[in-house]
Amino acid sequence: MNSTLLSETLIRRLNTAQLVLAGILIMSPTAWMVLSSFKPSFEVTAYPPTLVFSPTLENYVELMQTTPFFSYAVNSLVVTLGSAGLGLLFGIPAAFAVSWTRISWPAVLALAARMAPGTLFLLPWYVMFRQVGMIGSYTALILSHAVITLPIVIWVLLPSFDNIPRSIFEAAQVDGCSITRVLWKIALPLVGSGIAVAAILSFVFSWNYFLFALVLSNGDSKTLIAAAFNFVGEGSTQWGALMAAATLIALPPLVLAAIVQRWLVSGLTLGAVKG
Amino acid sequence: MAGISIRNLVKSYGSFTVVPDLSLEIADHEFVVFVGPSGCGKSTLLRIIAGLEPITSGELYIGDKRVNGVPAAQRDIAMVFQDYALYPHMRVYDNMAFALQLRGMPKSDIDSRVRQAAAMLHIEAYLDRKPKELSGGQRQRVAMGRAIVRNPQVFLFDEPLSNLDAKLRAQVRAEIKALSQQLRTTMVFVTHDQIEAMTMADRIVVLQGGVVQQYDTPEVVYERPANQFVAGFIGSPTMNFFAVEWRGDAAVFAADATPAPLDDALGARLRAAAGKAVAGVRPEHFQVVSANASGIPVQIKLVEPLGSDTLIHFEVAGAAAIARVDPSLKPKPGERLFLKPQPGKIHLFDAANGRVLP
Ligand SMILES: Nc1ncnc2c1ncn2[C@@H]1O[C@H](COP(=O)(O)OP(=O)(O)O)[C@@H](O)[C@H]1O
Ligand SMILES: [Mg+2]
Repeated sequence: MNSTLLSETLIRRLNTAQLVLAGILIMSPTAWMVLSSFKPSFEVTAYPPTLVFSPTLENYVELMQTTPFFSYAVNSLVVTLGSAGLGLLFGIPAAFAVSWTRISWPAVLALAARMAPGTLFLLPWYVMFRQVGMIGSYTALILSHAVITLPIVIWVLLPSFDNIPRSIFEAAQVDGCSITRVLWKIALPLVGSGIAVAAILSFVFSWNYFLFALVLSNGDSKTLIAAAFNFVGEGSTQWGALMAAATLIALPPLVLAAIVQRWLVSGLTLGAVKG
Repeated sequence: MAGISIRNLVKSYGSFTVVPDLSLEIADHEFVVFVGPSGCGKSTLLRIIAGLEPITSGELYIGDKRVNGVPAAQRDIAMVFQDYALYPHMRVYDNMAFALQLRGMPKSDIDSRVRQAAAMLHIEAYLDRKPKELSGGQRQRVAMGRAIVRNPQVFLFDEPLSNLDAKLRAQVRAEIKALSQQLRTTMVFVTHDQIEAMTMADRIVVLQGGVVQQYDTPEVVYERPANQFVAGFIGSPTMNFFAVEWRGDAAVFAADATPAPLDDALGARLRAAAGKAVAGVRPEHFQVVSANASGIPVQIKLVEPLGSDTLIHFEVAGAAAIARVDPSLKPKPGERLFLKPQPGKIHLFDAANGRVLP
């Protein structure tokens, strides 16, 4: 009795230690980034890093003055929302079809496309998009980013659809629903939290992806993350401004990730059947 | 409302045949129960009628319309599922109204139909609740309500009572029967429980291995089972079976050659079957007789008092058997008594294929 209690406490402490360690590993670069963005420029690269400093907004001011930050942000938003929307538009019916028919190879194919290195697509796309004169267009970026979002939507929603008891779909069919209606009237409302998660993950991954934008955009259609990449190594790197940019870029995904947490825990189908 | 006609139906999953060749006519207004052991193809048949499962070959008619390939949505049937399959995101009211809304029925008509069905099933108080806020019995009623408001051609039930406790099951059983007499809609009810089949059906389809063993009224299925499978499946406790033979000039139990109490007519049938058969007697068809009345001598091994009756367990020619006797007899384990099948209550089945002997 006593020894099990002891080992339980020990296990709990080890758990906590593990979480703290993981937290430090994950959070310290982020913290360093955020802190650096508020440091005077001479202190950003100081070694050892200074922990006490007088915070300043000079990096942010410089960022806004030297770059068209807001138009990049608009580009990012258009591409990200466009590709997340496209991913949902095709991913929802695709996931439902895979779940319904239990024919899974399309989902595997989508996953394979997601796992392949982006450079694989890049060259053919560059050639294709250039031939139709779409380099630098939002369409090219949105289409290419759909490779990121579509597999996310499919694979997040597939288990959600699979978890709905089949008899509920069958009851809807008997009640007079075509398969399309079953999707819209029954299945979709039941996977609401899954769709929220899929939408947010699509947004985050598309927002953070820079390879396609680096090549398929031009000066006007550059996304934030691709633009930030260009800060590095153009003559003298503006570390302070770069940290400010990185902090601003990281903000939307961080906020959204916090929102996802709430949605991840949701048992809407509970009580649908016997229980 | 409509009857159902199944003609030479075959259903296979790949190389696995569930229903080899089945023909069946269900009349308009009829309450038919499919009964059989688990895995015999009851649900498959019901789902084929519903249009949820394609037919491998053969024909299916609902009314005079051939419905092979017609999607479930267009068959005008209602189905109550074993797990109820209520829509979790809809209130009880909307669960019931859903099918009518799909048909574009005016709101006021929908409302009156839903309220009428809810009143019939005593679920008016729950109309605003979500399914997860209901007990199992209440969910079951909502599932029935969802079917009733439709006023469909045919009602299909797939073991709708199996998730209820025994008391509620008996109550809902009676309610469904009352409902069927009130609505007069054709009903097909699937169950593995022979009591449900006996109590509710106009006619029972006894299924085994996707083959109809007998299709008749509960009385006939009970009193004149077509084969040993039906005889054993219908009735509880199950019918007692004994191997009997004609030896010399008398019927005997095959195991120990002791005399078997078959009358002349049964003896003739036994002889016509090359002298070998299986005799069946239901537990309720034994009577306790005095020593000199040529009964079968038995020794009681176990006594199960049921209140209204008492079951006694014993052996006849090495085979375990059960008889249902009057509790006033106060039987005790170890006691010896004489049992005799009631006249006309012995069934004889072919020893090889189980068919009832002519
Ligand atoms: N989708 C399926 N694929 C393959 N076999 C199936 C399928 N559905 C049912 N079966 C088989 O068909 C037989 C009959 O099933 P079912 O109709 O559900 O039986 P019951 O309802 O009488 O218990 C079973 O042996 C079952 O394993
Ligand atoms: Mg079944």
